[in-house]
Amino acid sequence: MRSKIILIVLISSLAIFAQNKKEAHPNLNGISCKTCHSCDIPTKENPCIKPCPRDKMVSINQSPEEGPNVLVIDKFKSQSNIYAPVVFSHRLHAEMSGMAGGCKMCHHYNPPGQVIGCSDCHELMRKRTDVSKPDLKGAYHRQCMQCHRSWSGKVDCVSCHEPNGTNQKNKEQAITEKSSKRIHPQVITPTVLKFDTPKAGGKIVTFYHSQHIDLFGLECQSCHSNESCAKCHIKEKPASLKAKTADQKHAVCSNCHDTKSNCNMCHSSTTKEGFNHKSRTGFDNSKFHASLSCSRCHLEKTKFTGLKGDCINCHGKWTQENFDHKKTGLAFDENHSGIECAECHQEKNYSNPVCKNCHEDKSYPKNVPGKLIKKK
Amino acid sequence: MANQSRRDFLKQAALVGTAVTGLSTKSKAAPKNSLSEDRMGVLVDTTVCIGCRKCEWACKTAHNLETPPLESYEDRSVFENRRRPDSKALTVVNEYQKNESEKIPINVKVQCMHCDHPACVSACIVGAFSKQENGSVIWDGDRCIGCRYCMVACPFQVPAFEFEKALKPDIKKCDFCFARTKDGQIPACTEICPVEAITYGRREDLVKAAHEKIKNYPHRYINRVFGESEVGGTSWLYLSSKEFEELEFPKLGKDPAPGVSEAIQHGIFAYFVPPVALYALLGGVMWINKNKKNDQETEI
Repeated sequence: MRSKIILIVLISSLAIFAQNKKEAHPNLNGISCKTCHSCDIPTKENPCIKPCPRDKMVSINQSPEEGPNVLVIDKFKSQSNIYAPVVFSHRLHAEMSGMAGGCKMCHHYNPPGQVIGCSDCHELMRKRTDVSKPDLKGAYHRQCMQCHRSWSGKVDCVSCHEPNGTNQKNKEQAITEKSSKRIHPQVITPTVLKFDTPKAGGKIVTFYHSQHIDLFGLECQSCHSNESCAKCHIKEKPASLKAKTADQKHAVCSNCHDTKSNCNMCHSSTTKEGFNHKSRTGFDNSKFHASLSCSRCHLEKTKFTGLKGDCINCHGKWTQENFDHKKTGLAFDENHSGIECAECHQEKNYSNPVCKNCHEDKSYPKNVPGKLIKKK
Repeated sequence: MANQSRRDFLKQAALVGTAVTGLSTKSKAAPKNSLSEDRMGVLVDTTVCIGCRKCEWACKTAHNLETPPLESYEDRSVFENRRRPDSKALTVVNEYQKNESEKIPINVKVQCMHCDHPACVSACIVGAFSKQENGSVIWDGDRCIGCRYCMVACPFQVPAFEFEKALKPDIKKCDFCFARTKDGQIPACTEICPVEAITYGRREDLVKAAHEKIKNYPHRYINRVFGESEVGGTSWLYLSSKEFEELEFPKLGKDPAPGVSEAIQHGIFAYFVPPVALYALLGGVMWINKNKKNDQETEI
């Protein structure tokens, strides 16, 4: 009896946990808990979050407007008598982080579901036992100095802090007012970029920027890594940055493309067409497969050849029972609902259905064996 | 101790000296050198340090040394010259310019490394230096006779002497804020550092954390923790993005520095053999001379 009760309690607690998981991470479909947590059952008290770097971690991004506008960082008020708390224009900084990684740029442990603040992980007290990560004060300053230092080279405190005793209210109001509307322009993603290169016989590289984002699913920082404010804003670039070797120029592309042996893939004497699955491979993926990510079918990373266009390659054998024909935009009438697929579809790719097996005088698409509906 | 007379002191020194010399063949470790597993340390991450020099100000304030106001530390022109800790500044931060493409310079804080096997402790003939259980290497002004052997022995050339003082000059060096840590506070520099480039903690934990950092960010750090094994290990440990020798860290082996100085000192004084031998030699010369004289006298 006792063991039964324990079993019931255990099962119900697991059920509660499952519910909590959905509540805590509503956007997490099909992602294993073990991606971020090291134990089997993470709880609020012991989330057992894996230590950094969590490069495989799933993060979410919010728009700058969703976060707070202005934050007064006054957690150390009692500890410091030199400087007043910083009034931090959070929204403006969120706007600026657009291309450099978004929220993740500062909120580097950013679990799906919510963006968590620095103090959730970093301890308030400097004297502590866990020295694997900086304390809260260190964490704040490191985030700020990382950009501000490369931006201006200055490390003076009064850039951000007012000396203690000055009127904080005025500053807070001024910053709130200033950042209530968008200040930093939104990052514009170009559609196509044309590069003039010195390569003989292939001067032009046509780069479909939007395709790399929308079609291939790359994020800004997949290519624009380590880009701080200075990347755009410093006018005088040091000479060493301007003169790049061929390898340096190809570095961004060669992360995914073979830039050593296949020049004509990108270089051409004329403007190139963008990527089109049908014209490149012969398989038209625009009908039913447009929303899939490449890796859904091309399982091997960076290898995109060798797949056959036959449906059964991926889908197995279709029968009347396991295939919902409504998906194609055609709902059968009663007479046609029990027929084997092959009666009408004689080709392997299920295109061009025929009626002649049963009807001598009918043909598709002139006659329809049911009702045309909206594709699901 | 403070009111000790010179006579008492010399008596004690002679006694201690005799005892130490007598035991010297067996005692490898310096006197009072107890290495606790829980001894503390500091991990300096030179890739994080921003060169704000707040640590210099905090150090002077904590040790009642004369200091200009905090704002004046924002003057970065001091980095034009390479500085060393001295009797007026127990810690200093230097700056090393990276090459032109990387605009951010590297800042390195310098102070006593608080060796696990300190050469100053073993070189000191009156036991004014001691390695404390919490890792600090401290100096006792009441015992010091001003011989400055410590300055010669230190592989990091840290101990400084108040040459400018004619009366009662002190040896000055970072004491790991021994007075503060005794009260449960952390060292002044580690407390003020805005970016926590200097992390105070158990040495063992810091070594672990340092290697974890190197593992996680292999492009950020070179695979070496300075102080982990240099001269037998130091309480202060450093992480860097480039070779430590390029940042003017001394090139040191893994053997504790006292090994060298102790071997020489103990060699000289072992079992009073050299003094006895010297007096024996002199006595011998005298005896021979005396005999010669006698011979000459008898010849006449």
